[in-house]
Amino acid sequence: MEDIYILAIESSCDETSCSVVKNGCEDISTVVLSQIDIHKLYGGVVPEIASRMHIEVITKVIEETLFKSALTMSDIDAIAVTYAPGLIGSLLVGVTAAKTLAYVYNKPLIPVHHIAGHIYANNLVAPMEFPLMALVVSGGHTELVYMKYDYDFEVIGSTLDDAVGEVYDKVARVMDLPYPGGPKLDALAREGEDTYTLPLPLDDKSYNFSFSGLKSAVINLKHNEEQRGRTISKKDLAASFQNRVFEIICKKTMRALKEYQCQNLVLAGGVSANRALRETLKDLCSKENIHLIFPDLKYCTDNATMIGAAGYYAYKTGKRADFTLSAKANEPLN
Amino acid sequence: MISLFLDTSCHMMTIAIYKGKKQLYFYEEENNNDLSVKLISKVKEIMEELQLYVTDIEKIFVVNGPGSFTGIRIGLAFAKTLAWSLNIPIVPISELEFLATTGGTNYIAPMIDARRDAIYAGLYTYDLKPIIEDAYIARKTFLEKIEDYKENVTFVSMDTFPSLEVVPPKVDVTKIIEKYIDKSGVDVHTLIPNYLKKTEAEEKLNGSNISG
Repeated sequence: MEDIYILAIESSCDETSCSVVKNGCEDISTVVLSQIDIHKLYGGVVPEIASRMHIEVITKVIEETLFKSALTMSDIDAIAVTYAPGLIGSLLVGVTAAKTLAYVYNKPLIPVHHIAGHIYANNLVAPMEFPLMALVVSGGHTELVYMKYDYDFEVIGSTLDDAVGEVYDKVARVMDLPYPGGPKLDALAREGEDTYTLPLPLDDKSYNFSFSGLKSAVINLKHNEEQRGRTISKKDLAASFQNRVFEIICKKTMRALKEYQCQNLVLAGGVSANRALRETLKDLCSKENIHLIFPDLKYCTDNATMIGAAGYYAYKTGKRADFTLSAKANEPLN
Repeated sequence: MISLFLDTSCHMMTIAIYKGKKQLYFYEEENNNDLSVKLISKVKEIMEELQLYVTDIEKIFVVNGPGSFTGIRIGLAFAKTLAWSLNIPIVPISELEFLATTGGTNYIAPMIDARRDAIYAGLYTYDLKPIIEDAYIARKTFLEKIEDYKENVTFVSMDTFPSLEVVPPKVDVTKIIEKYIDKSGVDVHTLIPNYLKKTEAEEKLNGSNISG
């Protein structure tokens, strides 16, 4: 079989990234330019600033990626790009650059959904086997996705309010941890113990999630303790909060695997870097004989490598876009 | 030499193709929310109509602001990637200077509404010499600054302003091409939009950069 090289671009949030991926599984070269230090000044991602950073670096990032790959554009079979979902101004920079490359070099243009990218980050670890369940947990998403075969997505449940990563950042802010609070909260939780009473959120028969109630419970708890003149143990509160989040996520994930008769689980998205979540799922999966994959840490956050991996399967299934392709802030995965 | 002129930074999407100083094609339409959908398809369509390949383009003149932040970026993302991939020179042009090609009197004051009584504006002579540098400026301050030229100024704008008579732009791309045809290009990687205005988040953190 002939090798397929995809050049992929990702700019949906605050990382400008380009990658050359071979056959959907091999990272030939990747450049990721993170803006996190700039957004730290503002306590979160500022969309207009993110867009401004993307346009400043886009051609340089593409050039570096190609240079590192030791390939030329003539070796590239197709251009893949994240077109949705994300910050519209940010997405537009990547989408426009990708369309221009496809135009100049006369290559097929492959539109890739950001979440498909996160799921396919696992294909860079080991070939994904089907049918599988993907647990997508990130700053913008909390979803359970059932895949019967390659590039076929059925979202069976998602968050009704905040995404996991979002609620982590918000709870971290309540606890006065600096932005981005998610990883710091995870580190604190590892030192603490689950001593605080917090509710298990949306413990029902659906596969949906809801975390805003849990967030409010944390805020109220902190407030009440302070009113009583007691200091909160940050590490114990972090551990209690994290345990409740993962308990419900794991409970629903394991039930979905059973109901959909899946032997394969992949973990995807920024929160999949969380050590406690990985360990909990590893234990559960080994008990149930489920084949679990999670992405390398460097592919958990936003990157174009995962878009190139997903782009390969999109390319194989005949997905194409023309130059009218635009960016979409919200778009379901299907 | 075939060159592409592009302006997406304000109210209109303008695309022109030149051979030397001769205009081969001029296209403009109102810049709506579908700029990203239309831009590259339109350029491709024009090139095909002219029986030219995209690889025939040897130089790019791109308006890089001020104006609509998103509009500027869509045009610049296209122009920069095009210039980089074709390895051809790229020359940035001011939207205000482009509006000044409308002409009229000896002095032309192009203005773009920047909201909250602020504008993007500059003052140019009829033959496009800058007299007052492009700025993000309080409208009142700008009008004070050009007081000396007042008798001889044409205000050019798509926007309307209280008690100020403006003429709508009637741009002339050829004037821009004639002025800049021999100008060498800038480094494509460091070419950035000329917003003239900081983001609101930056203003909150460090104060506004408004003049006057």
